[in-house]
Amino acid sequence: MAGRILIHPVTRIEGHAKISIFVDEQGEISGAQFHVVEFRGFEKLCQGRPFHEMPSLMARTCGICPVSHILAASKAGDELLGVEVPAAAIKQRRLVNHAQVLQSHALSFFHMSSPDLLLGFDSQPGERNIFGLIGRDPEFARSGIRLRQFGQRIIELVGGRRIHPAWGTPGGVLGAVGAAERDEIASWLPEAYQTVRIALDRLKVMMDEFRDEIAHIGNFPSLFLGMVGRNGEIDFYDGRIRIVDAEGNMVADGLDPQRYHTFIGEASEEWSFTKFPYYKPLGYPGGMYRVGPLARLNVCTRIGTPQADRELREFRQRSRGAVCQSFHYHLARLIEMLTSVERIEELLGDPELTGAKVRARAGQNREHGVGACEAPRGTLFHDYVVDANGLVQRANLVIATGHNNLAMNKAVEQAARRFVNPRALEEGMLNRVEAAIRCFDPCLSCSTHAAGRMPMVVEVRRRSGELVSRMARGV
Amino acid sequence: MSVKTLEIDGRVCTGVTGQTIFDVAWENRIQIPRICHVGGISDIGACRMCLVEIEGRGRLHAACMTPVEEGMVVRTATERLKRHRRLIVELLLAERNHVCAVCVTNGACELQDLAAELGIEHVRLRYRFPKLGVDTSHERFGLDHNRCLLCTRCVRVCDEVEGAHTFDILGRGANSRVICDQDEPWGESESCTSCGKCVQVCPTGALFAKGRTVAEMRKDRWFLKYIVTAREKRQWIR
Amino acid sequence: MDPLTGRPRLATVWLGGCSGCHMSFLDLDERLVDLARLVEVGASPLTDHKDFPGADITLVEGAVANSEHLEHIRAVRARSGVLVSFGDCAVTGNVTAMRNAFGLENVLNCSYRENATVVAGVPEGGAVVPRLLERVRPVHEVVEVDYYLQGCPPPADAIWDLITSLLDGRAPSREGGRFG
Repeated sequence: MAGRILIHPVTRIEGHAKISIFVDEQGEISGAQFHVVEFRGFEKLCQGRPFHEMPSLMARTCGICPVSHILAASKAGDELLGVEVPAAAIKQRRLVNHAQVLQSHALSFFHMSSPDLLLGFDSQPGERNIFGLIGRDPEFARSGIRLRQFGQRIIELVGGRRIHPAWGTPGGVLGAVGAAERDEIASWLPEAYQTVRIALDRLKVMMDEFRDEIAHIGNFPSLFLGMVGRNGEIDFYDGRIRIVDAEGNMVADGLDPQRYHTFIGEASEEWSFTKFPYYKPLGYPGGMYRVGPLARLNVCTRIGTPQADRELREFRQRSRGAVCQSFHYHLARLIEMLTSVERIEELLGDPELTGAKVRARAGQNREHGVGACEAPRGTLFHDYVVDANGLVQRANLVIATGHNNLAMNKAVEQAARRFVNPRALEEGMLNRVEAAIRCFDPCLSCSTHAAGRMPMVVEVRRRSGELVSRMARGV
Repeated sequence: MSVKTLEIDGRVCTGVTGQTIFDVAWENRIQIPRICHVGGISDIGACRMCLVEIEGRGRLHAACMTPVEEGMVVRTATERLKRHRRLIVELLLAERNHVCAVCVTNGACELQDLAAELGIEHVRLRYRFPKLGVDTSHERFGLDHNRCLLCTRCVRVCDEVEGAHTFDILGRGANSRVICDQDEPWGESESCTSCGKCVQVCPTGALFAKGRTVAEMRKDRWFLKYIVTAREKRQWIR
Repeated sequence: MDPLTGRPRLATVWLGGCSGCHMSFLDLDERLVDLARLVEVGASPLTDHKDFPGADITLVEGAVANSEHLEHIRAVRARSGVLVSFGDCAVTGNVTAMRNAFGLENVLNCSYRENATVVAGVPEGGAVVPRLLERVRPVHEVVEVDYYLQGCPPPADAIWDLITSLLDGRAPSREGGRFG
């Protein structure tokens, strides 16, 4: 009964995807692939546009983390101008970036993943979502909704609107932050701390129930890549690239993001619209690495804020060397939410945040610029070549979810081997395979420079095409 | 100069010989929509947005080109006229690549405003998606053909007010486009004085100040009136 | 109407777009709790329904950009009471349609050949990944649309007004709608 099981679409992820599980002649699982089925072509459609439009144009790659694209595009623009960005603008950019980490991680945890964790992987599919959670645990659901709202509200107060704010620009940002905005943000802090704390404690208590999932959903050695600041702390806005291996050994440090192409290659495959970045010295596909919350916690020397650093010490006890279980992306994400709340508080107390000079002005002084930052899901690179008149000639985007593509494929295969019995398909099995993907919180809008739902039918077929078993999920 | 009395949308209005229906209507706060008209330069009646009904006359008249006459009864906002105007704006939206979300004038664009005022929720025509360029060779300004309506405000203001006549229109029909001098890059134009009047009168983001990001470009709608008043009446009033 | 609860069913669909319109839907914030009382949220990227069981109100984000979108939107239309074009990509094609001016082949080559260091294959569409359409289209070019919500993305308040009007049996107000 050799064939393919297709999970389509993968739901409660931020994008369009399918999973194929391959079955051999003996009916055993022989492999799996994660397909991204959406593509929009931003690298082409930006050609011929002025680079000053890039922050808002590139924001449209993703409605979940538009701020990351605004920042990477603005920073690439800073390079093209060759200016020093005023301190107030940098503080604003950092503040809004943390706000976005908070709202995006809250979305991933509360809206997308907590239904699995709190209601159970085998709970009724019709209920296994944020609306089901509202019914079952309204206070917890409401607190998560409000935490996301807090992040979005910061973006709105500073950037003018919540999604796709016209705010970042080469050389800085468009307007100053006032005291009223700053004070409103500050008024949310106690509740934000409390919500993150409760979520962290709840997840840690639940860990024991998910031993099997932790051991078999994306638990494998790989490299980890992330951006760190001068003292090795996590820096979401600026810094150098560090890479560690599964044992936690430093593989590379102090890499210049401007020269990302010297250490990151990208492979294309016909079965996915997301490319497969790899660490060049190890080649393709051997140079698999992971980015995002788990990777950042693995590469950093310390997080850099007191409460999160306490959590980091505990987190690192979960494994010798680097923490390799992709399931712990969830925990890492919550720890990062704590960092972001701490950093937001710190920035609100910084008098430079409300400074009036928010933009350095200059003509175009360079023809090539790379902008990099840590997006919620991992390191993001925007690379532009412009002509003498400032029109984009070539653009390359390397996106957080793309970096994780090789690892996600491996995680899917591992979860399929452990949880899926092709002879007796059960919905909960397939949900665990999808959960492997959900750990990474892929933002497929970004990864394909594109962004679901279609009938999910799982079919096991013989090579001849004859149907062996079939399962439809949902209604 | 004789006074003319006429009725516009049920209101009795007065104008003088030589004034257009458009001018008298606006003086009476009846704002007839327009695209190619801008106060201070000549009218050409090209966009057909200001078409009005005149009682006793079968065809529609462009308000900006029709002098007021004694006893006229004019209607400016009938269902028939609104239908025409909606279609004109839809044609404009479908003709080139108007991607409001990522335009430098998002939020302050006359075409976007018109679409909203006329209640255009979608375009019933097929979008053409032409491949058009952007000229940013000028040191201070840019010309994006994707957003151009061919209203020729820039052509007229440059010719009539600045006196440089840098811009013109090349080609016919859908292939028409604004050119500088003898179809040269704007930055190489010998006639352009870099005064920027064309940028200010442009109704969309087609002409913009370089270095402006999305939704940042705002245009000064008053400068032209100021200049023309100064020139004609020797009064420098804002 | 949901047979069990007797509540109207609301569905959301995501075609070629950035998910920003869905995020604006989530920006209803605590009104989501109220919404959960008013409707059954059926098929949506936020839930686990894998096929489209039908809905009384369906919001469609994104433009029609590939063969699966085309097939899916037709099925969705057939099983939806009221279909709403949700956001500028659905209504106009917007940024998703900017690739139309370049030609599909050039767009694919740019991403998967010119910007790749290893080309094992180019996802041109076939067995697993869908075939991209030569021309990205707004939703109403493909199926009949009942209402339009403009904006990139539409503001959460506009989404709330639309849903609650429809639930009250009123035609949604056209006031304040705007591209961009």
